[in-house]
Amino acid sequence: MKHSGTQRTIGRLLPTLVLIASAVFFAFPLLAMARFAFQNLQVIDLGWNNLFEKWSISSVTASFSDDFFAEALTLSLKLAVGTALFTLGLLIPTAVWVHLRLPKARVFVEFLTILPYVIPAIALVAGIVVVKPHARWFLNSDYSLIPFYVVLALPFTYRSIDTGLRAIDLKVLVEASRSLGSTWVATLLRVVIPNLRAAIISSTFLTVAVVLGEYTISDVLLKRTFPSFMAQYRQSDPRGGYALAILALLGTTLLFVAIGVLSKSRSARKQQPSRSQENEILV
Amino acid sequence: MAFTHTSPKKVEGVVATAAAPSFFSVLRRVSAWSGLIPFFLFLILFLFIPAVSVFSQALHDADGSFGFSAMREAISGQNLDAFIFSLKFSAGAASVGVVVGGFLAYAAATATRPRWLRNIVSSFSGVAANMGGLPLAFAFLSLLGRQGLGTKILNAFGWDLYAGDFKLGEVSGLITVYSYFNIPLMVLVTLPAIDGLKTSWREACANLGGSAWTYWRRVGLPILAPSLLGGFLLLFANSFSAYATARQLTDNSKIVPLRISFFLGGDISIGEDAVGYSLAAWMIILMGISMAAYWLLRRRAERWSHS
Amino acid sequence: MTSLSFTGIRKTFGTTVALESLDLALQPGELVSLLGPSGCGKTTALRIAAGFEIPDTGVVSLGENVITDTPAHRRNMGMVFQSYSLFPNLTVAQNVEFGLRNRKVEKVKRNSRVGEMLELVQLSDLGKRYPHQLSGGQQQRVALARALAVQPEVLLLDEPLSALDAKVRATLRDEIRRIQTELKTTTLFVTHDQDEALAISDRIGVMSNGRLEQLGTPEDVYLRPASPFVARFVGSINELPNVNGSGQILVRPEDVTISVDENELTMRGTVTRVTFQGPVTIISVRVDVVDQLINVHAASGSVHTEVGDRVSVAVAPGRGIIEAA
Repeated sequence: MKHSGTQRTIGRLLPTLVLIASAVFFAFPLLAMARFAFQNLQVIDLGWNNLFEKWSISSVTASFSDDFFAEALTLSLKLAVGTALFTLGLLIPTAVWVHLRLPKARVFVEFLTILPYVIPAIALVAGIVVVKPHARWFLNSDYSLIPFYVVLALPFTYRSIDTGLRAIDLKVLVEASRSLGSTWVATLLRVVIPNLRAAIISSTFLTVAVVLGEYTISDVLLKRTFPSFMAQYRQSDPRGGYALAILALLGTTLLFVAIGVLSKSRSARKQQPSRSQENEILV
Repeated sequence: MAFTHTSPKKVEGVVATAAAPSFFSVLRRVSAWSGLIPFFLFLILFLFIPAVSVFSQALHDADGSFGFSAMREAISGQNLDAFIFSLKFSAGAASVGVVVGGFLAYAAATATRPRWLRNIVSSFSGVAANMGGLPLAFAFLSLLGRQGLGTKILNAFGWDLYAGDFKLGEVSGLITVYSYFNIPLMVLVTLPAIDGLKTSWREACANLGGSAWTYWRRVGLPILAPSLLGGFLLLFANSFSAYATARQLTDNSKIVPLRISFFLGGDISIGEDAVGYSLAAWMIILMGISMAAYWLLRRRAERWSHS
Repeated sequence: MTSLSFTGIRKTFGTTVALESLDLALQPGELVSLLGPSGCGKTTALRIAAGFEIPDTGVVSLGENVITDTPAHRRNMGMVFQSYSLFPNLTVAQNVEFGLRNRKVEKVKRNSRVGEMLELVQLSDLGKRYPHQLSGGQQQRVALARALAVQPEVLLLDEPLSALDAKVRATLRDEIRRIQTELKTTTLFVTHDQDEALAISDRIGVMSNGRLEQLGTPEDVYLRPASPFVARFVGSINELPNVNGSGQILVRPEDVTISVDENELTMRGTVTRVTFQGPVTIISVRVDVVDQLINVHAASGSVHTEVGDRVSVAVAPGRGIIEAA
């Protein structure tokens, strides 16, 4: 909708200001953290003249040699992969089933997937503590975190897969595949999953982001994940702790940029309403 | 299991006796729901059992028998103060998130230049909303903590941030920090809603003599209202139940999730154990109400987007 | 009843030229259709009339007033969009009265006008329903009522029937025409469907690539196409070699004469298919000279041929349009 030149400029002024102010608000804490982590200079001593001195990444490289760094990082990565696989293995068949066989249940199932907001991490872990004596054999393993992480990521991951299924004409594809002689398993593997690539990728990355940032449950259950390690390391070396946090953030950011790039390239190939789809994947 | 749609009546007509039709239709319905068994089982084991366990521990009296005294104690005295404190700052954080996030979503959704703007905003929102508590807490400590970079900069401008009773662990500080993940979460929820505002509505309104203000007042905001309210509830629930961030910023036991962890960890007698669980139980109830309302609003919003 | 005119309107989007230089004048009370394939500029022209696009150069006039720079919400035109333009949060009645409320018409008058409009589109009982409870055809009727409620000087219709089922399309099309002639509203109707345009227009403007190829009555456009594009776009067309010169002749199937006689002015061919279609029989002939298939429409019973017969075909005198090679 076009008006005269001046009207147009004024109409864009407020949103532009909001965008700029937001950019500042979101950038500053990260910049402050990066400065604290990588510049070996206390804030009190900081002035215009020594702004570019004493920068190094030694704070984060020092943490690499900590005994528990490798252990914590590998554990978190393993948990991330495990959670992602568990999520896909549980949700893809479920979502497909709902779409094909039980459309009336869709609303109900969607409701179930927002329950993790009703029972947030702190309440969940309180319940786990109650059950602990009875399930010690299970909860002793570090990998017992996986199903709980699946629960935590559920609202995002289910929505992502559901959106992906809604974008393809699932019923028609499955019927075509079946009429050409494929079994259910073959249809799932050769028709459904390849068409869900974007949704699978984004829910995997979401899961990884959740796992790499999850602190509540692993803290209470005394598991040595990467976030726990970060918190602990910060006690002894604050600059190192912050540096690790930046590392984790960079990793997660790269993942999300990858999602953005991948979903854009996919929608460039198909002519689909990509925008709302891309955003619905994330919530 | 056959997927082609054979008419059940035909099948039943061949084999039917007077009672058979209902048997077949029940069988069909049961088998339809059976595909969801793995999912239900999973939720029962890893979501419902912990939740029920919380309640089972909460419903205890001081002597260990079944009763509501722990639940009552959990919302009285200092515990009540904690709930009120958490309610206040969660509502505040949610409000800030809704207003700023809503505006930001609108700015990003309607931006035509540069074209990568919207992607950056939504990608960044995805990161920030899922960032997890630790990096966020660390970042704000290094910015607005007593030794923070931002604090020093503000001092240079003559504003002593800590002159009043500002503390990162108090209401204003928490609201500031929580906005960092609330605003992006609001953007994620609101962008699809704003996309759903069809340009033809805006143009039809202008065509019928309405100004931009008329459009927003009579069409745009009413249609967005369920999404905005739903967003508020989502942000409220998110802020209320956040643990990791709060843990790194403060020991303030007036934040309900922290309070719960204090009760459950450390040396406390068994009776007080139940109070801790009761706090968690009340929190679940409060979150349940919020999310039920959120759910209803979201269904309402979806109804309009499909018209 | 007001006139609407475009003079020298040019519009580009980046490097694409949507409209080259449009000159078009609508007489008061007439219905002009802009007909053409997607991308031809017809929608752009309509949106410029509505005020949703500003032309690079040129003048848009409503009656004697130049409105090129008038903002959209002050143009007093009614517009019906392709789909989904009803405000979903308002009832049918509230939608229809929307423009009246903006003009501060008082409640009593508004209600009676809404009742009038709903009766005009034959939806009197549906005032309290919401758009999502209506069918596509009903929604478009409400959109029409809403646009007309404010007694606009010009009615703009942007492919209002494209999103509807075929059956609904035909009835609604005639309704629109009926209402338009009754109210004598100057109307600009954009469509890519030639049947629609031929059926309801006073005049048709055939457009292609940002240019107005022909502006004329439906008969003019069909019987006397001004350019090869118009000949091909409207109705069906045969392409025959031009035996009296170079290039080819574009001729309508019903303008080709067929007989078993032979003389040097006709072309010989073989009948490949005879399709009986009730009042008309379509005779497909493979012409010797260029090995091309043409279709001849003959009144059923006037010509008796069978597949395999040798026949002569010729372009009826004065018919067809020559396209240079």
